[in-house]
Amino acid sequence: MVAVLEKRNIRDFDWLTAILAVSIVCFGVWQIYNAQPTETYWSKQITGLFIALVALVVIAATDYRRVIDYAPIFYVLGLVLLLLVLTPLGVKVNGQQAWLKLPVIGQFQPSEFVKIPTILMLAKYFGSRKLGNLQLKEILIGGLILAAPVGLIMLEPDAGQAMTYFPILVTILFLSAIKLRYVVLMVAAGVILVPLAYYVGVQTGNIKSYQQERINVILDPENADPRGYGYHTVQSMITVGKGGLSGIKGDTETSQAKLKFLPEPHTDFIFAVTAENTGFIGCISLLLAYAMLLSRLVAGARQAPDRAGMLVIMAIVGSLTFQIFINVGMALGFLPVIGVPLPLMSAGLSAVLSTFIAIGFVISVKMRRFVN
Amino acid sequence: MKLNDQAQNLGIRVGAIQVIAFVFLAILGVRLYYLQLVKGEYYSDRAENQRIRLIPIPAPRGAIFDRNGKLLVDSRPTYNVTLSNEPIKKIDITERLEDYAGGLNVDRQYLVERINLIRKQPGFETMVLKENATIQDISWVEAHAEEYPELHVELQPQRFYPLGKTLAHVLGYVGEISPKQLEKPEVVEKGFRAGDIIGKGGLEQSYDQHLRGKPGYKKVMVDSRGRIQSEIETVQPQAGQDLVSTIDLDLQLAAEEQLANSATKRGTIMAMDPNNGEVLVMASAPSFDPNAFVTRIATPEGRKEIAGYYTNEERPLLNRAIQGRYHPGSTWKIPESIAALQQGAITVKNSNVVCGGGITIGNKHTRCMGNHGSPPLSYAITKSCDGYYYRLALKMKIEGLIEMIEEFEYDKRSGIDLPNEKISQTPKSWMPSVIKNEGKWSDIRTVYASIGQDTVVVTPISMLRAASVVGVQGKMFVPHLLKEFKAVGAVGEEGDPDYVPAKSSFGFDRPEPKIIEMTPEQNKVVLEGMWGVVNGGGTGARLKIENFEIAGKTGTAQVASLGKDVGANKDHSWFVSFAPAYKPEIAVIGLIENSGFGGSHAGPAVRGVYDAYLLKHHSNLLDGQQMAKK
Repeated sequence: MVAVLEKRNIRDFDWLTAILAVSIVCFGVWQIYNAQPTETYWSKQITGLFIALVALVVIAATDYRRVIDYAPIFYVLGLVLLLLVLTPLGVKVNGQQAWLKLPVIGQFQPSEFVKIPTILMLAKYFGSRKLGNLQLKEILIGGLILAAPVGLIMLEPDAGQAMTYFPILVTILFLSAIKLRYVVLMVAAGVILVPLAYYVGVQTGNIKSYQQERINVILDPENADPRGYGYHTVQSMITVGKGGLSGIKGDTETSQAKLKFLPEPHTDFIFAVTAENTGFIGCISLLLAYAMLLSRLVAGARQAPDRAGMLVIMAIVGSLTFQIFINVGMALGFLPVIGVPLPLMSAGLSAVLSTFIAIGFVISVKMRRFVN
Repeated sequence: MKLNDQAQNLGIRVGAIQVIAFVFLAILGVRLYYLQLVKGEYYSDRAENQRIRLIPIPAPRGAIFDRNGKLLVDSRPTYNVTLSNEPIKKIDITERLEDYAGGLNVDRQYLVERINLIRKQPGFETMVLKENATIQDISWVEAHAEEYPELHVELQPQRFYPLGKTLAHVLGYVGEISPKQLEKPEVVEKGFRAGDIIGKGGLEQSYDQHLRGKPGYKKVMVDSRGRIQSEIETVQPQAGQDLVSTIDLDLQLAAEEQLANSATKRGTIMAMDPNNGEVLVMASAPSFDPNAFVTRIATPEGRKEIAGYYTNEERPLLNRAIQGRYHPGSTWKIPESIAALQQGAITVKNSNVVCGGGITIGNKHTRCMGNHGSPPLSYAITKSCDGYYYRLALKMKIEGLIEMIEEFEYDKRSGIDLPNEKISQTPKSWMPSVIKNEGKWSDIRTVYASIGQDTVVVTPISMLRAASVVGVQGKMFVPHLLKEFKAVGAVGEEGDPDYVPAKSSFGFDRPEPKIIEMTPEQNKVVLEGMWGVVNGGGTGARLKIENFEIAGKTGTAQVASLGKDVGANKDHSWFVSFAPAYKPEIAVIGLIENSGFGGSHAGPAVRGVYDAYLLKHHSNLLDGQQMAKK
């Protein structure tokens, strides 16, 4: 593996970014163990980390421009995978057909991986455009590139995953000379339309009562039915609050996860487990680690040799930021419960692997900053 | 790529994204600060509350013994199937009732009622679905532990009344505290909760707080489904204090036998030590089985049985000794005689009053059973001369009778340590409504009142209490059933937060008598009359026992007017007494409802108790013939 890298490559390899990512995963492994000490999720995560590291190095060593050239192929391949999920090859878990079981490769979640070809496809399209203000046609094509995977994911249905695709397009459009007045207009429209849509949805019955309940518990956690759909949110807040300044310090007997008060502790609510075990100090350290990682990525984007490379990195930044915010916000009880994993922390091979592949691209872009 | 070469502020836009990312992370940091540092303690408490459960360990309820240490009430271990609230908070329990009913072999309707009832109560944690679970029930619950984690089997001592209907009115029974009781703030303040077992009726109710003890608890940690993960600590319960009652079971059984063999099988016999107010016998017939309220209440048959007790016209739940009110008839003449002497209506030297074979008030003649001339007091008592008392009462006036009622406390409860005692009704209580309806209190009512009819209805206990006074020089005690509560030891180490101090032994709290003022001579005259009733050819002559002289008074209380007093409307038969007449050890009253003449029904029933007493305490006094009979 080292052999593929030339001497210069080793020198230019972004060690700090890689180490940061690996550290967060290791921290995550500890929390997965805290969440489910009797299960094998934590050891599987370690295996996943090694596989992901190999993938990262391989991707980093590959010239991203070559990969972007082939983006349409990867993109189509991704869509095929998403289609296969909906066939009997797909595996249904908790009412969602989000998994694909293939011989040799095993079981994985295509919606996690397809993010990358989608980013590449969008970067290819918007990276090659001429200067000047963004045309409506271009926005529409960008929308179509995004709509295909999102539509297929919604059929699973996995609204949480589908949502994580939108920041990709938003980031790329924002960086593709979209007029600022459109941005302002869209933000304003969002502020008005989202509550309006919610109101209309409730009135017309399109938003189901359990979905309303999830919203209500955010608005008023103390008075929402703690035994109904607000249960997860309330339990997560209790778990986080219980951690206090420095966590429960070995008092694992009272662990909310172990006593099964906290649902999905090793995946969706891994942040609550972290908060319970390491307290405010641990959580802030984790958020700082994310901040450093994102800063490294943004710094890489600024040094990117071409527009496409910059867009790839920033789309990844947008996607990661959004996922972190949605997941932690859910754990902290101010965002509704949506099944979005916390990048690098939540147990799950697909998520770790896809994030490492993304970081691999970033490193690949950075390594080629002096080429031109 | 040189971002600043571009015309679209690309560098600024990238920076903007970075700033937005940092702002997002900062929002998370602030929220974390709020949850963990500002509200950390609050959430820590909430977490503790949801994982800690206190499982009560019931305190063994104190047993009840008779005065000789014979067991009257005990508890025995039974298994209950209970339902915990925590695991079912999130589910609709009604779907499972069908399974419970089938698996536990109980009425589904009963479960529905129970769950609806108990759901209305705040803070319910567990409730009993089935008491006295069988081996089959227990194994069913255990086999379905995964499916129904809300069900548990708990060891629960259950009250057991080995004597069944014997002494039922005195003992009472226990049962779950009612929702109505739980609405009272003072009940909730004492820490009672839904599902608690409390005494209902009888000694069980009167002394509930001493019998019940202090429950302990097991503090456990549970998971989100309420399954116990570990035990944190155990605080042992403090047992209730054992109660030694004043009852003499042998005499009680003799009395109940007399009632069972009586003409109507309805009535009451009560015996008391006139020297201190200790109740030796309190029998009331018909009776009920307290076990029905405890062990059978959950079964349809048991509930039918209980409903039957309430609807039965013979009123088996009524403790006739303290809740029944009857015209006292001639037994009323005993307190009346003392009062007449006290008030000076007659004197020891001159106690003669004309009988006249009756009296005519207006155009109404009220007769005496005989014509006794102008007898002295003791003779009037012995022969139960009504004419004497008609005129005596007119001399005392109704005010004199009311003074007597107050002196002998017929306007109050006796104060016995049983719940729900009734107060007698007398001319004192009737006067306001009589005057309201008739304009005045007429002499004829005074005449009727003089022989314990019309406006006079008294409880047997009040009559026994008043008549006993004659044997003990005016000492009127509060009748009571508590002889002694036994001590119990402390629980835990002194200084522990859960330390429960020992409880010491104690007896009845009002042992001092009220003194009815009378001179020894006055006392003697009345006593002579009562002695004569049995020993001097009086109305109770057939009760005479050699060497054990009974002083007594018969009473035949008219229930319906003359001529209609047959069948169900026959007179109530009374006999009130004590013995030996001049140094009484025991006072006994008997009342047989609707049976007829006092000397023929209540008298022999009372005599049966004396026989049992003699056999037990003075068997040397019984002659060969009597011994053989026993």
